[in-house]
Amino acid sequence: MASFERASPALKEILLRIYNAEKPIEVDYHLYEFGSVEYHIKSSVSEPQVTYLSISTPFLSQGVFLSYGLSPFTLKMVRQISTDVLHIVEPANDGYQLTLRLDFSKLPHNKESLKIITEVSSVQAVILSSQLKEMLQNVNSWDSSQGMYKPIKLIYHPKEPFYVIRQPQKIVAVFPMRFKDNSDVIIATSFFQELMDVVSLKKWAKVPPCNWSPIPPLELRGESFEDLSTDGGFVSFDISSHHVEGKRLDKTVWSLLNFYAYVKHHVKCTRGFIQRRMRRRLDNLVKVLEKSRVEDGQIKKVQGWRKMRKMVGSKSKMIKRRWGDLGKKIKRIRFRIKIHGFARFRRRWLTVPSFSSSTAYTKLQTNGNNN
Amino acid sequence: MASTLRLYLTCIRNTLEAAMCLQNFPCQEVERHNKPEVELKTSPELLLNPVLICRNEAEKCLIETSINSIRISLKVKQADELENILAKKFLRFLSMRAEAFQVLRRKPVQGYDISFLITNYHCEELQKQKLIDFIVQFMEDIDKEISELKMSVSTRGRLVATEFLKQF
Repeated sequence: MASFERASPALKEILLRIYNAEKPIEVDYHLYEFGSVEYHIKSSVSEPQVTYLSISTPFLSQGVFLSYGLSPFTLKMVRQISTDVLHIVEPANDGYQLTLRLDFSKLPHNKESLKIITEVSSVQAVILSSQLKEMLQNVNSWDSSQGMYKPIKLIYHPKEPFYVIRQPQKIVAVFPMRFKDNSDVIIATSFFQELMDVVSLKKWAKVPPCNWSPIPPLELRGESFEDLSTDGGFVSFDISSHHVEGKRLDKTVWSLLNFYAYVKHHVKCTRGFIQRRMRRRLDNLVKVLEKSRVEDGQIKKVQGWRKMRKMVGSKSKMIKRRWGDLGKKIKRIRFRIKIHGFARFRRRWLTVPSFSSSTAYTKLQTNGNNN
Repeated sequence: MASTLRLYLTCIRNTLEAAMCLQNFPCQEVERHNKPEVELKTSPELLLNPVLICRNEAEKCLIETSINSIRISLKVKQADELENILAKKFLRFLSMRAEAFQVLRRKPVQGYDISFLITNYHCEELQKQKLIDFIVQFMEDIDKEISELKMSVSTRGRLVATEFLKQF
């Protein structure tokens, strides 16, 4: 199962570095994540155990919270991270929604300190999930007409909004799915169908019922065309009261917020899996073709430009030919370096002896004195 | 189902055994050139009649022969969208690596999913019977691989869905 960490890895590393530093260090970092989340970490030598952390994050629902800032429920969730170490500074720094004062002297000197720093690093996830928790616990209808509740548009990832719609005895979360590639759409659609099949089993009766449709559900009719134009259809979850009781609320909220990321991760892993299998199959097919290659010993045809082996008639001819070849080789090796005047010396003193053949004859020189 | 596949493959094998009688034939139009005549199709007297073997509407095999080359084009079964994209991905993957196969064409003939081009030089380097065995086994392996991929993707989807629902 892909783990989507709540804590920001960069923020956690910086806080750990400040906490573990042997002597106080001056720190003033600006961190940007996901294109819209900004952190400002400031620590000075004059206050060695204190670090100020400011966060600016887009809210889940712009229309509801913008005018009020962070709700008391959200601030309460943030304080619950650690009441000793963390204090909320009011008002927050300019350009940020929240400023926290972290007192590292209050951190315990054991493994608990790492856990607290990790929870502090997940403050952005706490802010966003607290907003959805508030909605799921007690959703007010901001606009209702003819008994229908208007859907609330929430944005966790940029360009990937989802909707929460209040209905009698349940809350429906609808995810319009969009993908870049046609093959991603098909893999994801196959996943959604499997999801619906699994949810319909008796074993999973307690999970929120899930539904996928290629067309927008009735509740979303009236929303902007841009938001409703998708290629992956619409996935909806029906959240009942027992899904948000006690500790299940946090798990339900985190699962809903990360549903997009989960699906995209699954599609990416499936593509990698398909690629690996194709590569393996390619290797197997090439091996089959290599077996059909003709071995050297099976060559029967002789092509015109290739050397033809002749059956040698007499042994002496064979020996003579081989010696001649060897001699030429020796000459080539020995006489690679050219020395001026050496050629005459070589011809006189370094000639290779020639064998006389038993079948050869010596031509007699005829002159006028022979009788 | 399996019996129709056997018959289909046997028919293709027999046709290939008859058609794969290739010899070297230099180009008639350009000096010192030697081209696969089945690709150019400039001289009708060097071409044999193409043979189309259909298993059903979705699966077929086109065998075009000439004096020095033979072209085999295959259309693979694609029952639904998932098989469609898997077949497309896989065959494109193989075509892009055609140099590993030697006899595979980089671009399939229009209307087909994958094509082979076998010339007389291939017949000299590779044994004819084993080459035909390779083509037939290739067809079987493609079908098997696409079915296995489809099943694997569905199984993975189910496992991932189960893991997701465990969080609730």
